[in-house]
Amino acid sequence: MSGPELLLWFFAAASLAGGLLMLVARHPMRVALALISTMISLAGIYALLGVHVIAVFQVLIYVGAVMVFMVYVIMLLDLRDSSFLERYGRHIVPAVVLAAVLAAALAAAAGSGRIMTAEELAMYHGPAGNSFAVQPFSAEFLQRYWLHFELTSVLLLAAVVAAIAVVRTGRRRDG
Amino acid sequence: MNLLTLIVLLPLAGFLLNGLLGARLGKGFVSVVGCGLPILAFLAAVRAFGELDGAAGLALVETAYTWAVVGDFSFDIAFYFDRLSALMTLIVTGVGSLIHIYSTGYMKDDPSYARYFAYLNLFLFFMLLLVLGRSLLVCFVGWEGVGLASYLLIGFWFEDPAKAAAGKKAFITNRVGDAGFLLGMFLLYHALGTLDFDAVNAAFQGPVAPAVSASLVGVLLFIGATGKSAQIPLHVWLPDAMAGPTPVSALIHAATMVTAGVYLVARLNGLYLVAPEASQLIAVVGVATAFFAATIAVVQTDIKKVLAYSTISQLGFMFLALGVGAYGVAVFHVYTHAFFKACLFLGAGSVIHALGGEQDIRRMGGLAKRIPVTFVTFAVATAAIAGLPPLAGFFSKDEILWYAFASERGGSPLLWAVASVTALLTAFYMFRLLILTFLTPSRMDHETEHHVHESPWSMTGVLVVLAVLSAIGGFFHVYLFLEPVMPLPETAHALEHLELPLIILAVVVGLAGLAAAVYVYRGGLARAERLERRFPGLHRLLSGKYYVDELYETVLGRPLHWVSDRVFLRLGDRRLIDGSLHGLASLAQRAAGRLSSVETGQLQQYLWLALMGIVAMLAWMWRHG
Amino acid sequence: MDRTQLLLGLAFALFSLGFVGVMIRRNALVMLMFMELMLNGVILSLVTFAERTATISGAVLVFLVFVVAAAEIAIAIPIVLLVARRRRTLDVGAWSELKG
Repeated sequence: MSGPELLLWFFAAASLAGGLLMLVARHPMRVALALISTMISLAGIYALLGVHVIAVFQVLIYVGAVMVFMVYVIMLLDLRDSSFLERYGRHIVPAVVLAAVLAAALAAAAGSGRIMTAEELAMYHGPAGNSFAVQPFSAEFLQRYWLHFELTSVLLLAAVVAAIAVVRTGRRRDG
Repeated sequence: MNLLTLIVLLPLAGFLLNGLLGARLGKGFVSVVGCGLPILAFLAAVRAFGELDGAAGLALVETAYTWAVVGDFSFDIAFYFDRLSALMTLIVTGVGSLIHIYSTGYMKDDPSYARYFAYLNLFLFFMLLLVLGRSLLVCFVGWEGVGLASYLLIGFWFEDPAKAAAGKKAFITNRVGDAGFLLGMFLLYHALGTLDFDAVNAAFQGPVAPAVSASLVGVLLFIGATGKSAQIPLHVWLPDAMAGPTPVSALIHAATMVTAGVYLVARLNGLYLVAPEASQLIAVVGVATAFFAATIAVVQTDIKKVLAYSTISQLGFMFLALGVGAYGVAVFHVYTHAFFKACLFLGAGSVIHALGGEQDIRRMGGLAKRIPVTFVTFAVATAAIAGLPPLAGFFSKDEILWYAFASERGGSPLLWAVASVTALLTAFYMFRLLILTFLTPSRMDHETEHHVHESPWSMTGVLVVLAVLSAIGGFFHVYLFLEPVMPLPETAHALEHLELPLIILAVVVGLAGLAAAVYVYRGGLARAERLERRFPGLHRLLSGKYYVDELYETVLGRPLHWVSDRVFLRLGDRRLIDGSLHGLASLAQRAAGRLSSVETGQLQQYLWLALMGIVAMLAWMWRHG
Repeated sequence: MDRTQLLLGLAFALFSLGFVGVMIRRNALVMLMFMELMLNGVILSLVTFAERTATISGAVLVFLVFVVAAAEIAIAIPIVLLVARRRRTLDVGAWSELKG
């Protein structure tokens, strides 16, 4: 087993472990930290795949913005209420069963070879000349998909406005 | 426009004009239209009569409108004018016009003047449909229509619930009879494929007997006739029908509508000639009704009720004649009865008008000098109905008695005897009525006595005309006139020598009745009251009209009411229908309640359900490729 | 097992873990975090396929998903905050006004 492959296995295991830790941790803060570790492992996987842009964005946006916000809110609402004392809801057993079914179904789908047949697999060998490097990627991105890029800024603006509206309405109702 | 159709449509036009515009255009307009159109119809009928005689005795036939064509047979609205229809049409329009003119005086102060004349014209329209119709179908339309008009007019003052109930009773009793009429009609159509009168008569008189029992059809149609012509057992509506205005009683319940049953049987004489059982039944029912009604009339105290029972009794005479095969004689009696009964009813109306509404003869008396015209005309009509010669009633009643005795088609001495006793009673109670109302010393209370006045000329003029007709009408021997259409039955040869003695006996009977009435009632009610105390049971039975109404109520009315209430209302309507609807609704409600327990409001349960859906979808997609 | 299969399997596992976590944890914020985990699983599968077939549009799609995830979290957390302030608890089991 070569180095990159070993690293791949390592990161995969790490992300899975992070996910499992999330399930069992009690304090939401610990849950958030487990999630962060999962995300960083995933970023590592992306980097190993050669998709550097995405890896960087994963860390910057996901961990750096989303999870920070989440951590901030967890610290803000440090509620020791019933959800802290009782981690799991009422539907734990049926949920686990059904999710296992789902996982089995998905695994079977993945392993059956229907998702990508052998011929199709043979056609692709990996990125042709590392087209996911930052420069070629961004050039192509902003040349072909510039409209989508601009629309995302509109989406973010809408999100900001909505967030303010929600908070302000809440404040008016409470005040 | 065709003459017969014109005769029928003129009163209909009167109904529409008065009904729609009358209330707005005032009493003058209503009177002119309401009386003028029937008079025009009468003139048209006279004209048609003239054409009839010129056409060598053949009937006039006019088809006004083809209503439906079913297979080979077309149901037309067609009119048929032979000697019988001619006579009936002239009576209906003639006496009808006179009564319309009388009504202008009698109903002068009534607020619903226009509605009254509209209904009266409507009645004339339907009656003319009945007598002029060529087929049983058109006749039936007229039959139902006169029933409707009768209901509307009996219950004319419908604000009084008793009067409205009387109208309802008339209509429902008629309806019971109509069931028989309909069944007879269905059988005839099924067997013969036609409903035209001339075709039916020809079929039954022809060489091949039709595939239906003539007696059965005859009995069924006669059941219809008992309803319309108030014979036993469907006579109960006619006395109650006196709740309507008096001219209505004169027109509908004396002169025209109640004779519809007689007309029907006479018209279908071809059928009844080959139906001896049915004819026998008709004769027996007729004479029994005549006797029965006469006995009740003897103790009645309301002037109109006496006349009502008298009408029932006289109709019984007509059916007796029909039952022994003397169809023409029965129609002759219809003709004379129209005159004197209308005169009697209108005279009673004049008395009621003079006394300001009093109808009880125990509170009348001494009116002869005060309302002389009414008195004289009433007396003439009374003598006519009692059968005193040479007035009209003598001729017609005498012929009936003779044929009841001697006819080869069912006459018997027993029928004659009962009829003669009835004639005696008729004379008795009619003269009783005359004496108590006009001739005995006054028993009126002072208020009424003060206001007694003779009626206006619109009323007394008509009375005079009718009295004259009652006097001389008998000289026109209708039954001879109708012989080509309705041949008279053979009389037993051995009995023919008894004809003259029987005539004399009939006159004696009439005078005996007169004498008895004078004896009992001269001087007032004292002697009558002594008789009443001596036979209390009999008097109670007769006053209670043999308790027929009570019997119907117990046997039919109450069980029907019980079934309607218990079975149909409580069980059927409330429990079954409402219950099933409520049950369905509550079922939906309960099911919804149980189903809504799926929505717990628990977010994670909803998620679980969503996941279940996703898994199912995946499995399905996987299995199906 | 080759790389594609490993990564796909990991993606599906993360997705299932995320789903089960949303269903069984009681804390609303924790539920949100599990939803992020699900999203990450999906992103992983997207990246796997994009790299495999060398199509840039896959990576662009991933970029857009990041944006959407950020926008989504920007709204979801204030909502949860407001509801928590109202009901004074983050326990999802207590939020059952939709009952019946």
